[in-house]
Amino acid sequence: MLFSRSWLAAYVDLPDDVRALAGRLTAAGHAVEGIEEKGDDVLLDVEVTTNRPDCMNHLGLAREIAVLYDRPLRLPEIAPAEAAERSADAAAVEIEEEIYCPRFVARVVRGVRVGPSPAWLRDRLLSIGLRPISNVVDVTNFILWEMGQPLHAYDLDRLAGRKLHVRLARRGERLTTLDGVDRALDEQMLVIADDERPVGLAGVMGGLDSEVTDRTRDVLIEGAHFHRKAVRIAAKKLGLHTDASHRFERGADVEACERAVTRAAALLAELAGGTVLAGALDVRGIQAPAWPPRGRLELAKLNGFAGTEIPAGDVERWLTGLGFTLTPAGDPGAPAQTAWDVTVPSWRYYDFQTRHQAPHAVYPQDLYEEVLRVHGLDPIPAALPGIDGSDGPRTPQQALRERVRDFLATCGYAEAVHFAFQSRAADARFPSLQPGTAPQELANPLSEAYAVLRRSLVPNLVESARFNQRRGVPVVRLFEIGRAFFPPAAPNELPVQPEQVGLVCGGRAGFPWQRETELDLFDLKGAVDGLAEELGLRLAARPASLPGLLDGNTAELVRLDRSPAGELVGYFGRVEEEEGYPLFVAEIALDGLAGGDQDLRVDLPSRFPGIDADFTLTHALTTPWAEIDRGIADQAPPDLQAWSLKDRYRGTGVPEGAVNTTITFLYNSRERSLTQEEVNERQSALTAELSRRFGWSV
Amino acid sequence: MDQAETAGLAEAGALAGRFEEESSRVADRAAWEDLRLRWVGRKQGIVRTLLARTGEVPAADRRAWGQAVNTLKERVEGRLAELDAVLTEREREAVKRSAAVDVTLPGRRPLVGSLHPITRVNREMERIFAELGYSVAEGPEVETDYHNFEALNFPQDHPARDTQDTLFLKSGFLLRTHTSPVQIRTMLARKPPIRVICPGRVFRNDNDLRHSPMFHQVEGLAVAEGLTVGHLKGTLLAFLRRLFAPDVEIRLRPSFFPFTEPSAEVDVTCQSCKGQGCAVCSGTGWMEILGCGMVDPRVLDECGIDPDRYSGYAFGMGVDRVAMNRYGIANIRLLFDNDERLLRQVHG
Repeated sequence: MLFSRSWLAAYVDLPDDVRALAGRLTAAGHAVEGIEEKGDDVLLDVEVTTNRPDCMNHLGLAREIAVLYDRPLRLPEIAPAEAAERSADAAAVEIEEEIYCPRFVARVVRGVRVGPSPAWLRDRLLSIGLRPISNVVDVTNFILWEMGQPLHAYDLDRLAGRKLHVRLARRGERLTTLDGVDRALDEQMLVIADDERPVGLAGVMGGLDSEVTDRTRDVLIEGAHFHRKAVRIAAKKLGLHTDASHRFERGADVEACERAVTRAAALLAELAGGTVLAGALDVRGIQAPAWPPRGRLELAKLNGFAGTEIPAGDVERWLTGLGFTLTPAGDPGAPAQTAWDVTVPSWRYYDFQTRHQAPHAVYPQDLYEEVLRVHGLDPIPAALPGIDGSDGPRTPQQALRERVRDFLATCGYAEAVHFAFQSRAADARFPSLQPGTAPQELANPLSEAYAVLRRSLVPNLVESARFNQRRGVPVVRLFEIGRAFFPPAAPNELPVQPEQVGLVCGGRAGFPWQRETELDLFDLKGAVDGLAEELGLRLAARPASLPGLLDGNTAELVRLDRSPAGELVGYFGRVEEEEGYPLFVAEIALDGLAGGDQDLRVDLPSRFPGIDADFTLTHALTTPWAEIDRGIADQAPPDLQAWSLKDRYRGTGVPEGAVNTTITFLYNSRERSLTQEEVNERQSALTAELSRRFGWSV
Repeated sequence: MDQAETAGLAEAGALAGRFEEESSRVADRAAWEDLRLRWVGRKQGIVRTLLARTGEVPAADRRAWGQAVNTLKERVEGRLAELDAVLTEREREAVKRSAAVDVTLPGRRPLVGSLHPITRVNREMERIFAELGYSVAEGPEVETDYHNFEALNFPQDHPARDTQDTLFLKSGFLLRTHTSPVQIRTMLARKPPIRVICPGRVFRNDNDLRHSPMFHQVEGLAVAEGLTVGHLKGTLLAFLRRLFAPDVEIRLRPSFFPFTEPSAEVDVTCQSCKGQGCAVCSGTGWMEILGCGMVDPRVLDECGIDPDRYSGYAFGMGVDRVAMNRYGIANIRLLFDNDERLLRQVHG
């Protein structure tokens, strides 16, 4: 928001150094974002926060400067020469919506000659980038930027019945606003109407029909106070944002209406040669019950809250300068003043919401803020609070998540972060851990590409893998830990938002020198298996058919070591649709990885040497490893410490429909050295049993 | 000395000369082996043959004959051993030479992954605040209007909500615009003293070159008896000096947030120019780093904490911008492209 230095200087003596002024304003909560010289003038671009509509005009900001520099504020004198005829005889006002319109003030100026404004007024407006239009319109704009009160000027002759009503629009009513747009109104919009039709959108924009023109003789100036909600509803519905609505939406000054209207009338008489009718039409609606807000300020509590030693004199001077009324409170016999009952000025009513239980009463912190703003926050000495101990340990979920993260990074996966939303098509393309659920839809998505919240981490991961593929990255390994979103457990509850772990990999890792490998499903599964081992839990793969994944290369992951046993916690598989090298994906619910074996103790290795033995089993391709593995476990002879898959072979010498599975076994005893003979004996019995149960027979 | 004796000794002498001559020509193991077999081979070795002839030598000469042959034998065996040592050493050298590798060839790196820049910065912030006694609080990303706005003193239909560019669900819930709702959930669930930080993903309806519709925040909250604005400053200073550098300064500019009063924007010494003024900080020497304030008494009241007894402070900062500064990532969008060529470079 632009402020002119020379305009501000009309109300307060400014320091010569405009940069110092900018710094002081910034330190008091009015951030000066730019300083621009413009002719003889300097423009300050001030970011006025939404709670300070009272500073969205030159007088308001000048009041702040006067306090910051301890200088007097010069208010404009308002004393028009009035005619004998009364405004109240020339026009009438009726407030029908008393809550939405706490006050409506109007004055009539007769016999104006509409024409250009004098140079000083044009210059004022031009200095802050406003376009002069005519003396009547310029005066209303000038008052807005001087005092903050939005005004509107009507051609009195064009108001049917010469009466204004503040009411809600009626069904089917329309209004062509000053910008020339014909607008349909509805029954939630507050309007100003004459006896026949709406002539303005209250607090937003006037109507074209009653606009002041070259032919206008008699002008009615409106300076009203509309509740911010009423203005916001209409402005939002119509997509209109004006200087007036901006101020009303943030809260205007209910007591400024009369002064502003009278000042406008006086200026109009001076610049356009009219006659100001006596008195103002001043109609009050219903004031907010909390007005004026008040509160008790205790010096010791203020300094205790801030960690400061601000003296009483500063508090009194600053608050009084800002318009607050201070009445001494507390112990009358005390040597120095230490408490005051403080009343908030009318231009700050909206900024001081009162406490629920106590009408009028504001929180003392609201008052501390005012004092500290002027005092500045930078001079407050820094200290550390003395709270014993620490707040608490990590939650199990936090600890689990970080373990998973570290493990997957250790396994060679790079951590990815994706948006929580995706397109409907992407959502439908891949499996979900809660199949059959509908995705959570956004009401105002950025685009169709972000229309729904993800039910799976996989679509985004595959998309990123493709992005890397297209850029020529020869091998992709990505993981993400993040939330997925599912329908709520019960109506009106929040969506279920569990954390999930997603993985994608594919491509060729390394060159012959690095012993290149082409990643396949078992590289991916290895990471999952490793994760399960790291976390001390047992997962099993169960062949499955899932959307977007290749049949025969896809499995569901179930949890074996937790009840209910066999609970579905994830899935993995090969992406069916290929573009470049094949991709493999997995997704697991983070919660599905919780509750693993927490026993951290290790199995101490035997002091005695072990003996290993290989065995090649020719068996039907349809016999899954899991079954053979279980078979070994069932038949495990004493001292069989471990066994693992050594190789798989299909080809010459292996019958069609069969496969050679070579398994290596390790026998080891903790008590003694085993002999080759006893190992041979046990191993033959085991392999005979395996051959009997699983061996290939035509 | 008789004739036979003379002839025998002469033969041995000639053989010694011949051996010297032959052994001097041995250059490799094969020649050495030939030499050995010819002279001391079990079957046809010259020395063995001479010994076998001992019986034919007249008895009187046998002693001298035997001595001469033995001398020759010792001489041959000694010389063969010498030559063997030389050859063995030479062979060892050759083996070493052939096993040598080019040690400047690249090593085979173990396969390692990487953590996202956001994770790394988050972890560092969590570590610093853990030192200061804070725990980590978390909450849902889809939130209620109550937790995201209402309880934080954003009234319905207030312009302060306009600045939040909220993404709504059709069900009426919203994507949290900040992690402040976690503060509300914490205060509703617990009694003071409270010291938590709230890291997490947040969302805005804002998507252009400088903005991402999803980004990350860390907020902090402390509520106890007797907490002051000075404590807020001290905590921020302790945090920012650990995060950036021990000599950074901070500057507090009063501002407005509905959920704190007084509120302030906090600037920290620009890390690009150390406060000298540069393009990154638009010549000011300061970087805007976080927003903070004393918890608004309305918020405490709403959470059932008596604002006349307890006070608190809160602060919030963007994680993404810190990560971008640290790793030299110019554009926030690059953080979410998930380009492995970028991600795998991120260390520390």
